[in-house]
Amino acid sequence: MIIDIIQILALGISLGGVYALMGSGLSLVFGVMRIVNLAHPAMIMGGAYVAYWAFRLAGADPIAMLPVAVLILAATGLVLYKLVFEREAQSARYSEMTVLLTFALAMVVEGLLGAMFTNTQRITSPEYATDAYFVGDVFVPKGQLFAAVTSVAIISALALFLKYSRFGNAIRATTQNREAAQLLGVNVNHVCLVSFAIGVGLAGAAGALVSFVFSFFPSKHWEWIVILMSLVVLGGMGSVLGTVLAAFILATASVFVGFYFGATWSTLTFFVALFVVLLVRPQGIFGEKPELA
Amino acid sequence: MMSFLDAQDIITARRTYNEGLTQQVDSRRAAWFPLVLLATLLALPALQFVGNYNYVIHLILYTACYVVMAAGWNILGGFAGYVSLGHNVFFAIGGYFAGMILARYGISTIAMAPLAGLVAGIAGYLIGLITLRVRGPSFIISSLALVMIFRILFENWHFIGGAAGVALPANELSVKWTKLPYYYAFIIMAAFALWVTYRIRHSKFGLGLRAISKDEIKAESAGIDTRFYKVLAFAISAFFVGMAGAVWGEYLTYIRPNIFLVILVSVNMVLMCIIGGKGTIAGPVVGAVLIIAFNEVFVATLGASEINVLATGLVMMLTLIFFPLGVVGTLAKHNRLPRILNWD
Repeated sequence: MIIDIIQILALGISLGGVYALMGSGLSLVFGVMRIVNLAHPAMIMGGAYVAYWAFRLAGADPIAMLPVAVLILAATGLVLYKLVFEREAQSARYSEMTVLLTFALAMVVEGLLGAMFTNTQRITSPEYATDAYFVGDVFVPKGQLFAAVTSVAIISALALFLKYSRFGNAIRATTQNREAAQLLGVNVNHVCLVSFAIGVGLAGAAGALVSFVFSFFPSKHWEWIVILMSLVVLGGMGSVLGTVLAAFILATASVFVGFYFGATWSTLTFFVALFVVLLVRPQGIFGEKPELA
Repeated sequence: MMSFLDAQDIITARRTYNEGLTQQVDSRRAAWFPLVLLATLLALPALQFVGNYNYVIHLILYTACYVVMAAGWNILGGFAGYVSLGHNVFFAIGGYFAGMILARYGISTIAMAPLAGLVAGIAGYLIGLITLRVRGPSFIISSLALVMIFRILFENWHFIGGAAGVALPANELSVKWTKLPYYYAFIIMAAFALWVTYRIRHSKFGLGLRAISKDEIKAESAGIDTRFYKVLAFAISAFFVGMAGAVWGEYLTYIRPNIFLVILVSVNMVLMCIIGGKGTIAGPVVGAVLIIAFNEVFVATLGASEINVLATGLVMMLTLIFFPLGVVGTLAKHNRLPRILNWD
């Protein structure tokens, strides 16, 4: 019994590490730009395909390919921001409009990936992906553990960047109060551009890690959207720390549900959690505003 | 006696005041056009006497099905401004309710459609009580989550066939006439849905919904019971989507989660309203005709469903960026709306 619980915790925490990185970019972009980027999971899918083809064609290690995925995706983010989102900043129903826009963007990405790589299930299989460490009777899958450690390292780097660098301060200022930041001389448009690129780059990093943790195919991102949204909503929209915490909580809860009720219901945990949070505490753990409109 | 008369006077004054609030009908509009269109569509199956026009019948039926859904979606998304990406849940509820009754008791889904709509409407009311507590992006996300939850539930509920679904008996008419019951059912439902949206638009209820979409807090402080209005709008829109789903299942002769609970169905509803013009009566019709025609061209020339997803996404992005008001809305803004499309 106690062994079961330790096992669930071990699996949940390593899974949570992966989800944390997947959700953090989404949270950052929402905090700075008030954009709910529904295309974020589709971008993660893009990063996963980068890692997949590098592995398939050159045998490159997915973790080593992570910086490449980040660069490719961040560049995509820059272009998208310039093409699509910059002009929407003046729109009256900005936040609602951008949700629909990113939704359409997600479909475009899904269609592109599907047309190029077909809807076959893919997964990269470096040696560690199918291996595990044993501590007594508890096992920790190596793939998830490596992914979680890498993800925690990246998130810590992000947190340090936001906390101590000058530009990180500008990003946090914009998150807290856009107008005040502008008054103090922060170039808000530039901050938005860079944070969007960072956010999409984080999606690329998450994609490289996801490529050996979950099997993926282009239309799977719909499932991820809701999973990631449940993290972001529970954590409080826009709070990266909240998202990371929520990732660990919900991943552990989903492993728990999967362990006792079967794997089918474990994803349901996230969806139901999303509803319960919206019902009980719409602002999430760290959210301040009671209304998100 | 005197005070009783006073009360009557106040009520009459109140009523005239309320009528003054509802939007005035534009006298220049061509009210005959929708009626002529309806009459033409009702007479159209006569073509079957001279040749085989099954494809035309199918296309119009398909369009009418989406007109019902888009018009229903329009009540919530267009009037009240709550964009739901999860309305195909009600499509599934209606389809499964009527489909299961057809499979078990052999009662035609066309007869059951109003009841199926009602069931979907009640489900919509209950779901609305929860999800309408939040708005803006959070509401959109919760509507997406709804689809995922129902997909998992429907795929794992063995009574309704799980992921494999249930096959429904086809009707016994010959190939030439087999589509007609569904054709008439969808045309009549579409006309009904449009009539209801017209009535709502010109009622105090519709005015309240428009106020909610403009500024909910002000609407609340002006004395509108915003919560009840929103939830009722959600239930009515779910009613229409559920009704469409009921007949759609029998038309396809099987019900399966991956027919009803795919994201493309709900996106189409949203996209039709946006392309046609959110919050207008003619918008869903224009949008449905455009999207279905567009889909047919793409499927005929390029085939693959991935391309279809890509193209739908692209069209949606371009419309949102360049014509956020839609065809009807943009034309009306520039005073170029042809009289025949002015159904408001």
